[in-house]
Formats: sequence, C-alpha cells, structure tokens
Amino acid sequence: MDAFSEELMGFVQKDNQVEASKDPVPEIHLPWLSQHIQSTGSHGQKGTNFAQTTSICLNFIQEALLKHQWQRASEFLQCYLQTLEDINSQKRQMAPEIIWKLGSTILYNHPKSNVETFSAFADRMKNIGVQNYLKISLQHALYLLHNGMVEDAYRNLNQAESWRYGEMSASQEKLIKLIQAYRGLLDYYTWSKKRTEVSSFDMDGFATNAATQDMHSYFRQASVNLHEIIKIPGVWDTFVKSYVEMLEFYGDQDGARQVLTDYAYDNNFPSNPNAHIYLYKFLKKEKAPEDKLISVLKILHQIVPSHKIMLEFHMLLKKSNKEEHHKLGLEVLLAILDFSGCTENITAWSYLAKYLKQIIKGKHREWVQEGWSSRKDWWPTFHFSYYLAKKNWKENRILALKKAFTSGILLGKVKHQKIILSSGVGRPMFESSFCLLLAE
Amino acid sequence: METSFISSCLDCKLLPQNSAPFTKNLGLLLSLIFLSDPWDPELMSQDLLFRGRVKQPARAKATIDVIEQLNHFLWDHGDIAFGPLGMLLQENFNLGEKKKSRKNKMVMNTEWLLRDLNGYQPKGCPWAHLSTRQRRFSLLGGTVLGEEVENLLGGLLHEELETRWKRLLLDEASTGGALGWVPGAKPHHGQLVYPTGRAHDQLNFQKVKLSPTNEPQALGDPSHILLRGPVRQVVTRTIQGEALVAVRSDHHCALWKLEHRGPPEPLQVLEMEKEATGISLSPHLPGELAVCTRSGAVCLWSPQHGLQQIHKDPETFVFKDPSSWRWADFTAHPRVLTVADRTGLRFADARAPSDCGELLFRVGAEASCQRGERVLLAQYLGTPDPLPLSPTLHLVCTQFSLYLLDERLPLVPLLKWNHGLLSPPLLAQLLPPPYPEAPLPLLLGGLGGHLRMLHLSGSGRTPQLAAPPQSLPSLIDSLPGFPVLEPHGQQLLQERLRAPLTGLAAVVPPGCPSPTMLLFQLSAAGDVFYQRLWLQPDTSSESAVSEPSAVSWKPRAVACCRRWLKTLLQVPPTLPSWTPPTFSQHHLRWLKEENKGKVQEGLRAAMAEGRLLLQGDLAPLPPSDPPPAHEPFGTEDKLSERLEASWERKGAIWWDGQRDGSRLPRKRQSREKRRTQLSSSFSSVRSTSDFSDVNSPLPHPPKTPSPLHRMSETSQSLELSQELWVKNIPRERRQTLRDYLAVLPSPDSGNCSIPQFQNPSSQSLSTSEPGKCSVPCSQNPRTQTLFSPLPESYSAFYSQNPNSQSLYSQNPNSQSLYSPEPAFNSVFHSQNSSIQKLPSRHTPSLAGSQPLRKKPRMGF
Repeated sequence: MDAFSEELMGFVQKDNQVEASKDPVPEIHLPWLSQHIQSTGSHGQKGTNFAQTTSICLNFIQEALLKHQWQRASEFLQCYLQTLEDINSQKRQMAPEIIWKLGSTILYNHPKSNVETFSAFADRMKNIGVQNYLKISLQHALYLLHNGMVEDAYRNLNQAESWRYGEMSASQEKLIKLIQAYRGLLDYYTWSKKRTEVSSFDMDGFATNAATQDMHSYFRQASVNLHEIIKIPGVWDTFVKSYVEMLEFYGDQDGARQVLTDYAYDNNFPSNPNAHIYLYKFLKKEKAPEDKLISVLKILHQIVPSHKIMLEFHMLLKKSNKEEHHKLGLEVLLAILDFSGCTENITAWSYLAKYLKQIIKGKHREWVQEGWSSRKDWWPTFHFSYYLAKKNWKENRILALKKAFTSGILLGKVKHQKIILSSGVGRPMFESSFCLLLAE
Repeated sequence: METSFISSCLDCKLLPQNSAPFTKNLGLLLSLIFLSDPWDPELMSQDLLFRGRVKQPARAKATIDVIEQLNHFLWDHGDIAFGPLGMLLQENFNLGEKKKSRKNKMVMNTEWLLRDLNGYQPKGCPWAHLSTRQRRFSLLGGTVLGEEVENLLGGLLHEELETRWKRLLLDEASTGGALGWVPGAKPHHGQLVYPTGRAHDQLNFQKVKLSPTNEPQALGDPSHILLRGPVRQVVTRTIQGEALVAVRSDHHCALWKLEHRGPPEPLQVLEMEKEATGISLSPHLPGELAVCTRSGAVCLWSPQHGLQQIHKDPETFVFKDPSSWRWADFTAHPRVLTVADRTGLRFADARAPSDCGELLFRVGAEASCQRGERVLLAQYLGTPDPLPLSPTLHLVCTQFSLYLLDERLPLVPLLKWNHGLLSPPLLAQLLPPPYPEAPLPLLLGGLGGHLRMLHLSGSGRTPQLAAPPQSLPSLIDSLPGFPVLEPHGQQLLQERLRAPLTGLAAVVPPGCPSPTMLLFQLSAAGDVFYQRLWLQPDTSSESAVSEPSAVSWKPRAVACCRRWLKTLLQVPPTLPSWTPPTFSQHHLRWLKEENKGKVQEGLRAAMAEGRLLLQGDLAPLPPSDPPPAHEPFGTEDKLSERLEASWERKGAIWWDGQRDGSRLPRKRQSREKRRTQLSSSFSSVRSTSDFSDVNSPLPHPPKTPSPLHRMSETSQSLELSQELWVKNIPRERRQTLRDYLAVLPSPDSGNCSIPQFQNPSSQSLSTSEPGKCSVPCSQNPRTQTLFSPLPESYSAFYSQNPNSQSLYSQNPNSQSLYSPEPAFNSVFHSQNSSIQKLPSRHTPSLAGSQPLRKKPRMGF
C-alpha cells in the first residue's frame, strides 16, 4: 500500500544472518508484529494446521523451559520433532538448530539426563542436515569437558575437524578454527600435565627423554592451532595465556613477547585491558626496564584507570627519575579514586595522603591544583560529604583519617601537616564537609 | 480516592541458586487501586490495520487502513471535511427557498438533487440508481470536493495513523518504567511513587509497610501531586541518605526530595523544547541527573550546578536509523555517561564534551546481532553499594536479546541471552542478593506484562548465569484465581489485567528469616500489583516431574479480591468519547409542515433547557411491540383449551373465536409494519434516547464528561452560533438556514465548539504548590530557574481541572496560552479530537442504528 508499511512490515521469518547491512536504512524488525497482524487479519490465511500445531508446540516448550519444567518440555519436544518434515523449506532448514537448542537445554538441566543420553542426542542431531554439524560438535565437546571427560571431548573435536562438506563457507571456516583452537587448548592441557610429570621424574635419561619427546609433540600440535586462532581479531585470553606459557617454557622469549605485543596493540582487536596486563606481567617477569613497563601501564591507565594494578603503576612512577612521571603519579592516584568501585580503597587513600605530602614538600603545589581543578566541583560531595564522613568514621577509622587528611590538603584547609583530633576520642569534629578540624 | 487490597496466591518458583535446591512457594498479589477514572484500553491493531484478504499469505503484512479511516472521518466529521467548501459554495446553491434566487443564473437549486438522494445512500453499490442530476453533479463537483479533502486531511490522517501504529508496535515513551520504590528510614518502610489518572498526570506517593511474612500494607492514602503532563518515567535513588525522585514527562523533567516526614520537597523543574526521552539519577552524586531529548542532546543536570550539555548529535552512532530516541545513564566514573540510541551505546565524558566518544556497544557483528535488531533499553547495573558484581556492568536490551557488557571491555558482550519476549523489554532492574553469596536477580519486564528473571553470580567478578533463566507469573496469570464473573465483568477484568506493564519495582526486604523478594507492578490502568516470591530450596528431581501451576487463594485474599472486583465493576463503562450524528436531516427537511413545526419546537425546547433530546420531543413514540410472551406449550395449550371447550360442548364457539383471533393479529401486524417504516427515520433519535437509558442508572455520574453532556453543550453553542451567523447571511437565505440548523443536531464544529476534554499530551508540568517549582523556562533546556514565584504563569499552568469540561471553548485565556493563533488552534484541536476518537467506533452505542458504511459518499 505504501512504502512505509511495505518496509516496516516486511516480516522476515527468521533471519539469522549476522548483520547483513545491505540496505542503506535497515528497518527495525519487531518480533511481535506477527501477533498484531494475526489478531487483526480475521480473513487472512492462518497457515496450515501443521504450521499452527508446531508453532503452538514450540510455544509450550519455551514456556516449560522458562518455568523449569524439564519433563514437560521434553514431552512436548517429542511432538515437535515433526517440524523436521515441514513443507516450508525455510522452516525445515531451521528446524534442526531449534531442536538442538531446545533439546540440549532440556538435557543439560533435566534431573534424569546423563552424559550418554546427551551424547546420543548430539550424535543424532549432528547428522540431521549438514549445517549444524560443526556447531553441535563443538557444543557437545564443551558439554563433555564440563563433565570432566577430556578424552572424549578431544576425540569429538578431532572428528569434527576432519569433517568436510562441500565448499567451506566463511562461517564454517570460523567454526573449524574455533574447534582447532579448542583442540589446541586440550593439547596444551595434556602438555602441562606431562610437564609436571617430567619435572617429578628423577633424572633418568631414557624415560625423561621419551616423555620430553611426547610433550614436545603436544606442544607442536597445540602451538599450530593456538597460533592460528590468535591471528583472528577477538578476545582470546585463555588461548593466548597458554600459548605464551608454552613458548616461555621452550625459551622462545621473543616469540612470546611478540604474541603478547600483537595481542595488546593490534588495532583490529577489540580493546582488551587483559592484553596489556599480560604484557606487563610478562615484561615484569623478564625484568624489562622500568621505562618499558611504564609505557605499557600508561596505555592501560588510559583504558582502565581504575585497575588495581594502577597502584603498582603509581609506585613505579614515584620511583622514576623523571619529573613528568612524578606528576603522572598523582594523576594516576586521583584517577583511581574517581571510580565508584574504589572509593574505599584504603591503600589508594594512604598513597594519596603520603604523595600529596611529598609533592607539597617538593614545592609542586601547582600539580595538586591542576589535578584538583577538574574535580573540585564533584569530589567534595563524592568523597568528603558529611554523610560519608560519618559513615567512614563508623566503619573504618583509618580510612576516615586518611580521607580527612587528603581533604584538608585538597580543600585548602591545612597549613601544616599535623593533625589534631579536636576531641580526641569518639567522634571527630566535622567542618563543612569531611575535613577534620586541623590545627597548626 | 479509594484504596483496596487484593491478594491472591500465585504459585511460583524463584531465585534459584546454583547448588541450593528449591521448593515451591506462594506469592501474594496485592493491588492498590485507584479507580477514580475509568480506564479504557486504547488503540488496538484491529483499529488501524486493513482487515481484508492478505494477498501474500507467506509474508504476513500489515497495511494501515487509511481508506476506511478516511471514510469514517468523512462520515463522522462531514462538517469539518466539507464545511469550508460548503461555505465557499454557499452563494451558488439554493437549498430550497421559494423562488427568490431563481433569477440569478449562478445559483443552482439543489432541491431536486437532495430529493434524488432521498435519504439513503448507495454506498458503493454498483446497482444503485443514480439520477442524471446526481451523476452530473458528482462528475462536475466530485473532483473538487473530493480532492481537497483527500489531499489536506488524508495526508494528515495518514501521518497520524502511521505514528499511532508505530507507537502501538513500540511505545518507547514508557521506557524505564514509571514506578519507583524509595526505602524509608525504618528497614521495612518505604514509599511507592507512580502516576495514576487518565492522563497519567497525578503523581502518587504511597507509604507502604513491608512485613517479612505477611503481605505489605499501604499506610493511609497516598499523597499526590497533580502535574501538567503525563508522567512517563519515574526514577528513584537514595544516595548518601538522600532520597530523590526524578520524573520525566514529555516536555518537562522534575526532581523531588523525599523527607521521611512531610510532603515531598520539589527541587527543580526543567522544561524542554523537544520531547525528553530519558532521565536517570546518578548513583554517585546526590541530585545529579542525566537527561536526554529527541534533539540528540544529552545533559548533565544538577540543581546546584545547573545544566551542562555533554553530547549533541542528531545523527545515530553506528548507522543511520530514523529513530530519534536517545537514552542516557551513568557509568562507574561519575563524570562519564553512556548515551544510547537505537544503533548502539557510547561514552560521553562530561569533563571533555565531544560527539565522538568510544563505543561501548554497537548493533553489529561483535555482538552477532540479527538483522533489524535495535537497542530498546540500556541500563547501568552498578550501584554505590558494594556488590559481588563488578561496578562496571551495563545491560543492553534489544527486541531479541539481552546483553551484559563491561565498560572496561567495550564492544564484546560478556553475556548474551535470547529473552524471547513478545513485547518490547522496556523495564529492567538488578536487585541486591537476597542473602549473602546468593546470585543477584536481574528482572526484565516486557510492555506486555511478561517478566523474566535471570540470576547473575559474580564469582570471579565476571557475571555468569547461575541458573537457567525463568519467567515469572504475569498479571493475567492470576485470572483463574478470580471468581467467575458475568461476561461483561470478566472482560473488564481481563482487560484490566492485560493492561500494559508500565512500571516495575522489586524490593528485597532486609532481615527476613527466609529470603524473599517483593515485586510491585504498575499497569497502564493505574493499578499497582504486588507479588511475593520466596526463595525455595531446589528439589530438582521433583520439580522436573510436575509443576502445579494452579492459582490458589487464601481466604483473606479472596475477601480482598472481592472488594477490589466490586470497585472495579462499579466503574462506569467507558463511553465512546464522541458519537457521530446520525440524524437523517433529509427526512426532517422534507417533513410535512405540521410535523416540522412540532419537531422544531421539540428541538428548541431541548436546546433551551440544555437537556438531552428525547424521542418524545420530536414525535409521539411509535407503539412498540410488547415482547413476545413466553408460551411454553403453545399447541398443547390450545389443544387442551379446545378439549376443555368441547367437554363443555362449546367447541364451535371456541373455533369461531379462534378464527376471529387469527384475523385480528394480521391486521395489527400490517399496521405495525407501516408504523415502523415511518419511524425508522427516527432511528438515530431513538438510539440517543436508548443511550440515556443506558446511562441513567449509573450509581455515580462519571467525572469525565460523557457524550451526553457534550450533546447538550453543543446544542447551546448551536444557538449561539446561530445568532452570530445571521448577521453575515443574506436575508433571503436566513430562513433556509434556520430551518436547516434547526434540524441539525451537530453544530458546525469547525470552530471551537468541539470541547477538548482531556489533552493527554498537554505540555506543561507543574506541581500543585504554587510558586514553589512551577518554572516555565524558556525553550532551551539550558535555562532554568529555581524557586521563582511567578503567580501569573502559575495560574495559567494550573488551569487543567478535570472537572472543567471544555477548557478551550470556555476559557479564552487559557486558550491563548497554547497557541497565539486561535484559528489554527481550533482546527488543530478539532482534528485532533476526531482522529483520536475514530478508533472507538467499534463501541456498540449506536451500532444498531447505523448502516454499514463502506465508501464515502460523493459530493453532498
């Protein structure tokens, strides 16, 4: 009738494609639209009985799942299997995946289900239609891992890896890579087990040699697969960690550093603070120069100023010879305390109190003013309010004292660094906000 | 204002925990109901969509039925549609005067034309007889008369229908929810804040006492504040011991501070030029808010420091999307906000405002979004209290899925779950754990009333699902627990329980021996329902076997429920707010002289008294048939009569009597038939009187004006307008016009005479306390004033009185407030009202007397 309804109402049945952005202005897709249409279209075709019953059945299953009625859901699922023979080809193709999702959820939670049932179901579902083979294999393997059956999982992954159907599509390729990566992870697992075994051996030449050989072969298998997955942009923390550990073990420090550097600094990868932490820890272990460490942490400071490693960063900066580092040291501390999760971090407060004292002694009052200027309109309420003073004093006196001291300096109420609690015992006297009464 | 409680017991299971087993338990349903206003479920898809055959059954499609709506519009508001043209053409038509204008060749006599129409309309019937005169007239005049209406009104109508259909599919105004909970000074006390009233313009503060075991109790009547706009969102927060309530209306935002004693203290009101779409209170700094509007601007607002714009971009972030919806919330850093639109979520730093902050979420491959997926809700899940979860978590809901994101690790969601809700998920709340070390319940509410609960455990600081998600009983699930009602009552109850869910507030009362959770739900009808959920030990083996889902009621609950139902059923049924005139003017026009005089007298008398026009005013009532008496054994009775007669040897006499009797009714029937033919033309009049019968026995006259009042009012204005009109009309036509007017029930409502009773989109908001916070700030959200006593502006703002029936026609001062051009104003309102009221046509009021209408009549 008009462009509006044509576009808005284009009700695509189920389009699982990942963000196909061919249209210049893609319209919002509302899953409840069909309901509205059904309730209106009294003359419209309601579809076949078959479609109706299956959709009702699907609703029942979903409802039962959300009410944790696993038995009921499984009974309905038996009836739902008829969708595999739907005359609508699109629905028929979608059916195995839906059944797998529902079935695996039921079996995962059903009190009477066991690994055998799950495996039997997975094996059956893998071979219905070809599209889901890899996905189901991977999920099956993860389920087995969850149940501690590492070897079965490994076998499963191996099988899946060698599976081929027609030309490999992009999504298949991704899945294969993921399967290989998980296999690599399991190889790494065996490798690290062997390593502990080898280290426990006495220095018996032959046996050790054989074990080392064996271990080495696992390393090679694992490293190939892990190296592959790390190249794809993504968050691969576990894979990277295990790969680096193996590289380190074999003394390939440069390789390990390269992997970590790429993982942290490659712009194609999503921003990941863990990558920087791994790199920092690696460099620290390597006893890298402090400048190097500082440069790594500087980036982390920009991404996540609230990370607890920032306290370490502050110490590094404090120790450094450069004046700009000293200045940054203050900023780092202030930035930590900006975050709501760190307001009661007593270490940070005591560092800040100490550092402020040091800075003022070092005649760098302007740094304090600089750091304070962007915070002066909200820190007093955020940290030094009367309410918080009372609360802190009740819960943690040391924290209260540290905060009081800092507030004294920052709010400009202090002339010398001597704190005198006016009343000595019990509750301190509060002035305007948090500041304890400070005297010369 | 009436408050009553309802409680029911719903079987539900909740708060699963990974290791601990559950048992079944009971929840209670309570409702604090305010039945001052009848509530009617507004638009439905049936009212807007084309109901014909769908051409492509494989691809379901919705088509807005503009033709049908326009058709209705032309019929019901012919005066608006054709009135102006009629005025223009008035000079050239003679409506039936005798001879006077015959000389002028430019004047056409429509007497015969009208006579040809003869009271009935072919309405698209292909076999209808058209006289040459009619044909000629429609060919010549049809294009002119039709096109104008079609172009001007059709366009506007189409636009309006589109917006309404879009709103029906996704009503984004209520994002965030309009129900807030403010914990009180004592651990088991608190206040619920929510809007009620037909226009959702009354903000209520209801004190509630919680109990570890029993149902919560409302303490006294709620205190309320009448605002000048619908409340869309209510946000509450207690920071550093200060309880704050922020309210978003369409063009205003306001902030109150709640004291433990005394009324809420208004802090500041903000007025926006563009519609506000989101408001949130800072979890870090007391009194700081983030506000965003449809212009794409996001501001940080605090009563102390005023407004600070930190982001402004009318374009969407990731790709182009037509929606101008924006949303803002806070992050773990008090100076960094998140700004959301339909395509994604991005950071905005208040210290260095710029339009290109880092993206936190985008609809795209990273989150493996589906095609057509859009952000519907974004929420910061951190709170000042230390939680087992990291304070950097954000929730994003789309129409398909729920995402959890960590602001330190942008773009890649930590968790994705397909929620499967069949209504937009616009409400979400993360609750503190019911007991230490327990997973945190995360509630998700769809506008359709469906609820989902997830259990987030923060072991290792990364959020995980501690148990499979579950659905909670929605309001409509409690229906089987109510007693069986009459169909009308049942429908009323169902509608009431099915009302959209517009608010959600959950409380975990501290210090309960058994961990429990209270769930308050606000429905669009203004009811607040309460549900209690208990943590139960997991009996996973049993729970899998059977799950009794029947609703059981405690005796006390039944009593409460009955009270509620009683008040609910007492509410007068909502009447169609405007009923089209269905007078057959034609008939009245061509009445014989003696009848005409009678009819006119009746009309005039009714108008003079300002009362309803009754059948008796126009003509004597046609004798109606007595309802056919129930004769259980008709033939047997006759037989027994005859037998009796024959026993008494009077068989022949009986037989004769029978023959006479059968002849007599036949005569009577034919007379009846003639009469009904005659009186059928009064159908409409009769139906109006029927209406009054329906209405009169109502226990309380409804506060909101019914069409009946309007009817009399329009009659008054008719008289007035007559007087005015007479001046500008040539003398020879006055009589015609008077005759014409005399029989017209509806005035020419192109002017201000259609009263605007309730304007749900009224544009200003003020508290009921004069001079305290009603601050009409000029245009830009940048400016605002605090505590400026402006008496005159106050009085203007306060003019909305639910009892004043026609604000616009009766009070010229308030009219000027809304628009400097009265002409435009009136057209706008009358149009608006007609469009608004169109959907309510299905109401059965006059259905009996209305012919089916398919196509607009052509020309006149």
